[in-house]
Amino acid sequence: MQPPLFTTRRDFLRTTLLGGALGWTVPSFVANTFSALHASADGALTQFATGKDGPILILLQLAGGNDGLNAVVPYTNDFYYNARPTLGVKPTDVLKLNDTLGLNPSLAGFKSLYDAGRLAVVNGVGYPNPNRSHFRSTEIWQTASDEDRYLTDGWIGRYFDNACAGCDPTVGINIGDRLPQSFSSHNPTGISLQNPASYRFMGAGLNDDEETAYRSMYGDAPGGASGSGDSVSMLSGTITLNNGQSALDFLERTSMDAQVSSDKIRDIAGKVKNMVKYPGSGLANNLQLVARLIAGGLPTRVFYVSQGGYDTHTNQRGSQDARLKELGDAVKAFTDDLTAMGEFQRVTMMTFSEFGRRVTENGSRGTDHGAAAPMFIIGGDKVKNGLVGTEPSLDPKDLLDGDIKFGTDFRSVYATLLQDWLKTPSVPILGRQFDTLPLIGTPA
Amino acid sequence: MLAPLPSAQWNDATAAHLLNRAGFGGSPRDIHNLRLMGPDRAVSWLVDYERIPDDTPPPDWTQNISATELTQRDAIYKMADADTRRELQRMRGNQENKQIADLRYWWMRRMSLGPRPFQEKMTLFWHGHFATSFEKVRSPYFLWLQNETLRQNATGNFLTLLISMAEDPAMLDYLDGERSNKGKPNENFAREVMELFTLGEGNYTEQDIQQLARAFTGWGLSKDRLHYEYHLSNHDTGPKTIFGQTGNFTGEEALQLITQQPACAPFLVSKIWRYFVQDQPPAAVVKQLSTEFVAHGLDLGWLMGRIFRSQEFYAPEVVRSQIKSPVQWIISASHQLEAPLPTEAMTLVMLLQLGQELFQPPNVKGWDGGVAWITTNSLLDRYNFAAALVEGQRVPLPALTGQMQGFANSIHNDGLLQTGPAPVAQLFTPDQVAAPDPFLNALQARFLNGSLNPLRLASMREFVQTRVPLQEPDIRKAIRLLMSTPEYQLT
Repeated sequence: MQPPLFTTRRDFLRTTLLGGALGWTVPSFVANTFSALHASADGALTQFATGKDGPILILLQLAGGNDGLNAVVPYTNDFYYNARPTLGVKPTDVLKLNDTLGLNPSLAGFKSLYDAGRLAVVNGVGYPNPNRSHFRSTEIWQTASDEDRYLTDGWIGRYFDNACAGCDPTVGINIGDRLPQSFSSHNPTGISLQNPASYRFMGAGLNDDEETAYRSMYGDAPGGASGSGDSVSMLSGTITLNNGQSALDFLERTSMDAQVSSDKIRDIAGKVKNMVKYPGSGLANNLQLVARLIAGGLPTRVFYVSQGGYDTHTNQRGSQDARLKELGDAVKAFTDDLTAMGEFQRVTMMTFSEFGRRVTENGSRGTDHGAAAPMFIIGGDKVKNGLVGTEPSLDPKDLLDGDIKFGTDFRSVYATLLQDWLKTPSVPILGRQFDTLPLIGTPA
Repeated sequence: MLAPLPSAQWNDATAAHLLNRAGFGGSPRDIHNLRLMGPDRAVSWLVDYERIPDDTPPPDWTQNISATELTQRDAIYKMADADTRRELQRMRGNQENKQIADLRYWWMRRMSLGPRPFQEKMTLFWHGHFATSFEKVRSPYFLWLQNETLRQNATGNFLTLLISMAEDPAMLDYLDGERSNKGKPNENFAREVMELFTLGEGNYTEQDIQQLARAFTGWGLSKDRLHYEYHLSNHDTGPKTIFGQTGNFTGEEALQLITQQPACAPFLVSKIWRYFVQDQPPAAVVKQLSTEFVAHGLDLGWLMGRIFRSQEFYAPEVVRSQIKSPVQWIISASHQLEAPLPTEAMTLVMLLQLGQELFQPPNVKGWDGGVAWITTNSLLDRYNFAAALVEGQRVPLPALTGQMQGFANSIHNDGLLQTGPAPVAQLFTPDQVAAPDPFLNALQARFLNGSLNPLRLASMREFVQTRVPLQEPDIRKAIRLLMSTPEYQLT
């Protein structure tokens, strides 16, 4: 007997509600049979809110505060070399983008993307009154709040709330073990995944009565048997992480999402193969999995991956350069893979970091927390490659307490991606209208 | 407010709650023994642990550390031949990975089997608070040293603990204290000590950070790099203005200034309350406890006794409301199963997958805890690890690359990723396995210290009723199923 394949939470509920007499007292093998019978009818019942061929956004977090100045190097700028006697990247080493800016030589992967018209650099991105705490600034980027406001739900969480109420839980996938705050929302949506092979309830293997019993424990929504309306409202109701709602409700919700998504993911991740060889880094591994999930036809809209190690207070040239190499090489392989799979044109990737770093190096051959920095946007023909935004001035009189002043608010980048790429209004998500950037458009 | 728990409310449920939060839970017998002590003595037994002897030996490899081992790294870099250097580095890396694995398992066993559960739980709390990571501090010896320092100062005076951490070799490495000098002070420790260890954001200025960084210069390591040493020549002796006060503050004096800030006591009290009691500390309770905490000279043992004796600690909305950390999940499960901890390999893989590698918190804020432990991925992992603990299913080794390959290499001693099925028949009496209700009552009492929701209970009853009298394989399945529920994740 095929295990039941529940495709959306709503679908899952609908199936059990249709068999209204299916309360908790029905023997599990009957419930299983019923579910299996409805598995074939799934296609008719399924309503993917977002569709499996729509645009995909990938958020790639560079955690720790990526030093923008050594990534996108102003190689003709004396202020830069004066401030960084040991850290400055030599003009002869940079990979030139134009006659004033070049990439750190470790970013050969990005240079290759730039030359192929697949990379845009948005320079001088930040926000007013920059905060230099990892945690507070990361929170600001994840929740898209002003620095003096404290929001708990994330901008992608709000996107899910607005654009796809009752969506499949796999509409957002985080590769990692901690749900990023950007996914946090009133109706928690999105799953976290690391190893597809173990992303399921594994029975002891001798026979499947244990797995059957496990499924029957989730065979109905909590409180479901009493009334169909009640169970639907409870699951789609307000479950926030922070407003006194219980941990138990959060656990119930997550458990249900795990149940619904695990069959599907395992199926896809097992069948689909990558088409290029990736380098051997954690980031590359994660992007490899993302590529398979995209090619496998999940209705995912947003993927989130994270690369750590950018908090380079000491010996920066050793550590940041290594991180950038990993980044460039992994993303290049990923774009090549998606291209070979025929999926690249519907994917856009955005890198972000909680802040850049101070212009002047410190006494430990590193840099301390700073403010504005560049963001990288990688995408297909619809993404306008090149340099966007003004190159920030490094003249000490133009700095803010030793840090680079922002020219572009990061929420402009978000607004652009929401409106022009994901085709959803940005104002309900970001709270107000931010000027969009000329990043996405029809190919020339 | 904060009145003692009335003795009429002291029972198995409240005793279990105390053991779960102040320790790592226990079997029904452990809970019963605690209950017999009565609420006041039970708290004393846990918190005033100095009376209980603890002669747990440290890991072998920490005892004969010689200077040459620790300066090996420098020696390697001086090697002219690149191939030899690479080989020596590889060997060194392997040794570090073996030692850190050994250290992690040593501590898990100590938390699980040691005679002072609360001291271990408090040490675990401080480890998350004064977060320091092996990812940067590549010395298992220093991480062990830090662990022992935290253990010794866990319930003493907070300023003493704070100073011990500021002068701790692992911390000096992690937050760059030892690389800060009077010419160019490094701000990392100054910022994090206030933001994360003592005051919280918004209670200091950028100026305070810069001045504090100057006061902290001079802390470093001895020439043999075996212990802390003060280097006056590196210390900026000039006047600093911190929190509006000016003086030639030394690092220790500056730390004292920090603890005297009004924001310090409430910050600590709130964090401790969130860890041991509930997510949203009531403002009035924090205010009251902070005042008393300051009046008691920031005596942590006094504070913990006060909290564990209060009615608020035992409130219905507090009991079984906290999501178990991975450490708590593993250790309390082994107590409930009355079985030994899983093998080193199993334990370390579980901690890695569930997001709590000891000595390797994700960042300097430690572990967020609570709902942060739970994602679809980690929840499925918990359900599957239950099968490993109870039914003898194999724990799959995660896909590893780069630095993580070192982790795989470190699973050396008993690279066993599975043990036999747990002997569980002995946990139930013949009467209990003969009929559904007695069995389900005993099952819930032992594994939940509470009950399943009625619908899930009905599903369990349905599973059990066709199988009574229960044989051991079915008892295991029932336990595994119960461990695969949302309710089981709570403590």
